[in-house]
Amino acid sequence: MTDTATELKVTAASDIEVDRDALDNSIREFAEVNGDYYIGAFHKIHDATGFLPNTFNLWAAVLGPLWAASRAIWGMFWTFLILEVIAWVQIGRGWWGNPGADMSERAARQSARAQELLDKAAAATEQADVDRFTKLANNIQAAADKSMVQAEAAQAEAFGIMMTGFLLLLIFKLVQGLYADRVYEKQYSNWRIDPANTESGRSQSNTVMGAILAAAIGPLIVYKFTVNSSMALLDEFPEEGASALFLGEGNGTLFSRLANWMEARIDAAAAAGGDFFDGIVYGVRVVLDTLTVALNGSPWPVVMLVIAVTAWRAAGPRVAIFTCAAMAYTALLGYWEVAMETVALVGASVILCVVIGIPLGIWFGKSRRAYKAAEPVLDLMQTLPAFVYLIPIIAFFGTGNPPGILATIIFGMPPVIRLTALGMRGVPESIKEAAVAFGASKWQLLKDVEIPLALPSIMTGVNQTILMCLSMVVIISLIGGGGLGKEILEALQYAAKGPGLLGGFAILFLAMVMDRIVQGAFRREDQKD
Amino acid sequence: MSETVVKLTDVWKIFGARADEAMAAVKSEGIGKPEVLERFQCVVGVQGATFDVPRGEIFCIMGLSGSGKSTLVRHVNRLIEPTAGKIEIMGQDVSAISENELRRIRAQQIGMVFQHMALMPHRSVRDNVAYPLEIRKVSKSKRWAVSDHALGLVDLTGYEDRLPKELSGGMQQRVGIARALASDPEILLMDEPFSALDPLIRLQLQDQFKALVAQLKKTTLFITHDLDEAIRIGHRIAIMKDGVIVQIGTPEDIVMNPADEYVREFVQGISKLKLVKAHSIMEPLEKATGSLDGAPRADHGADLDQLIDLAVTTEQPVVITDGGTDVGIVTKPRLLRGIQGGKDD
Repeated sequence: MTDTATELKVTAASDIEVDRDALDNSIREFAEVNGDYYIGAFHKIHDATGFLPNTFNLWAAVLGPLWAASRAIWGMFWTFLILEVIAWVQIGRGWWGNPGADMSERAARQSARAQELLDKAAAATEQADVDRFTKLANNIQAAADKSMVQAEAAQAEAFGIMMTGFLLLLIFKLVQGLYADRVYEKQYSNWRIDPANTESGRSQSNTVMGAILAAAIGPLIVYKFTVNSSMALLDEFPEEGASALFLGEGNGTLFSRLANWMEARIDAAAAAGGDFFDGIVYGVRVVLDTLTVALNGSPWPVVMLVIAVTAWRAAGPRVAIFTCAAMAYTALLGYWEVAMETVALVGASVILCVVIGIPLGIWFGKSRRAYKAAEPVLDLMQTLPAFVYLIPIIAFFGTGNPPGILATIIFGMPPVIRLTALGMRGVPESIKEAAVAFGASKWQLLKDVEIPLALPSIMTGVNQTILMCLSMVVIISLIGGGGLGKEILEALQYAAKGPGLLGGFAILFLAMVMDRIVQGAFRREDQKD
Repeated sequence: MSETVVKLTDVWKIFGARADEAMAAVKSEGIGKPEVLERFQCVVGVQGATFDVPRGEIFCIMGLSGSGKSTLVRHVNRLIEPTAGKIEIMGQDVSAISENELRRIRAQQIGMVFQHMALMPHRSVRDNVAYPLEIRKVSKSKRWAVSDHALGLVDLTGYEDRLPKELSGGMQQRVGIARALASDPEILLMDEPFSALDPLIRLQLQDQFKALVAQLKKTTLFITHDLDEAIRIGHRIAIMKDGVIVQIGTPEDIVMNPADEYVREFVQGISKLKLVKAHSIMEPLEKATGSLDGAPRADHGADLDQLIDLAVTTEQPVVITDGGTDVGIVTKPRLLRGIQGGKDD
């Protein structure tokens, strides 16, 4: 141990010699082909202190993307393939494209029309007709001349376009030539760190792949943009032809076949599980009805008082004042009853989300495997646009408020599940271990340690779920859901601006009041800790 | 020091999916740690640990991180299941008992203190200390009384209603000790309890802890990576390396007769003043050159520190006695060598 320490010589930084041999061998191993060139180039890059490139790779400039492909620098390959194709399109447009084609066609049409009129004038017997036709013919001829001039001007521009194309191409080539070695040197650095996953050397297969890609992309694009009447096959995907190819002529399209099949499946499933789905709807309806009775069945002054006091106790006087103002707005504009229906819908959705979501979250927090399996489903629930699953919900559960609540649950449940699982996993192992060491059973561990410590995270999840349910509860008016959403949907159908905006504000206030009260309640909870 | 409270016999722990296969291979072929890793992708945590701890002893397990000491101690209350071997607590084989019985033993007979305190942040200090009793469904009034008493033992009276985060690190660890003592367990498992504290607080807590355990007569397994701490606290020390217990002995044993190079390196820097006792460096009376009349006398259990105090008062050697009879002498050169660690002349 001490031997190596004494042998270490201290050298001033300025006197340190670069060990070129090791580096050279490594670069040669990396480059495989043309090693000596890259050794020189990389040395120049390593020695450079400035910002500007100081090497020029002739082959990279000449071959462009093909060079990048052969060296497996795919980022550079794609960038310059696209840029060079753009340049080639310009060149093509100028060279064999006909930018004035539209105009010269029009000029020809106009000339023909003028000639026609002149013929008519010659054939006419009355002087008035002769004058009229001649005058018309002259006017059209003038327009034709003008079009001709424009066509020629466009044609003259073609040369300019072509030159721009060449200029662009030249610039791209120069840039590739100048930066190729630098980019390749980056790749070399990556290769040193991770030789297993970084491609090195020059490979036949990469070159061929690059050539195929370039050949497939370049000519088609250049053709499409430079030839005025391109092939129909390239403009639109021939789905009908493809359907005929798969199914035979006159047997409908793939789309209609698949749609019919799915419809039959869904009908069959809905019929088979009718009792099951009805049971779910019944369960949801019980929760909803209980809440509706409480909110809309009780006298309105009582409900208002309870809400105001809740706001005050949970979130303080300022939120209470805001809540009263919002309630006054809804009541004075006649929205009270529908607003309470919306609250009942949100309430029922949130209750169901929490009752189902928290146990699921606890399970997912404990079992990594279960969470892995559930994660794609949760992602799907959150990313699927609501419109997509409204249809299956109608098919299985019918229309109205309870199916609407089911749609809301699909959208609103993932946050509470996720954040419960997150909270559960965030409980420190040491505290759990301590509880177990003192003899806690699984249930005691959950009740005394895991849930209390995960509670802040769970509450954040509940809050998010409430807000997501509220946003969804408007959309379910599309499948017959009631409440404020229905008011807005009606206003939308008649493009009634006034009622629509007033209803929109009512929902906005509802959302703000709910958010404030819930957040206020959680904040007080936090302060207690 | 009579009855054996904790007894481990050839305990092995192998981590990994193929632990049983690896264990069988170890037993039959005697393969080592690197081979187990290579052939079965299993990590050997503890290799054949065997020791007894009698009632009232503080048994330190010392080793660097990764030596398997925390793993080993978790076998005692079966937070970790052994791959092979036998663990007995007061004569009862804990690897054979039911889940319920295990929980009862954990709650009543074993208290544990953790390096990172592991207090529940949402409970008051009192409720944290009372938690082991709460698990056993003891009534609240009883719980609170016991908890307040335990907090009194660690000088935390007056902090009962605070939350753990309001307390300093040292105080939090005292709460941890109070919690371990609350159910009046027979055994204390201390998993590097003082490692995360600053040195001065650590010293204080070590002394406080030692006094407390002596007073309460708890059998203690004390994990540490600090040899000074082990020597200060432990009646006996086990030194672990790579899952193997390299040496078990009293602090004096370990310092004076290290079992191998590894232990020797460890004990090099340890001060011998309080460790080495007169009887291990004394020479026979016959070696005395002059008269021993009027020479200072010390018991054979006196340590070097006390001998130095005596030696500086006189030119004569110190006479060592055992129950009133002179049994040997310690000359000054001998004393100086003793301070160096018992090197022979």
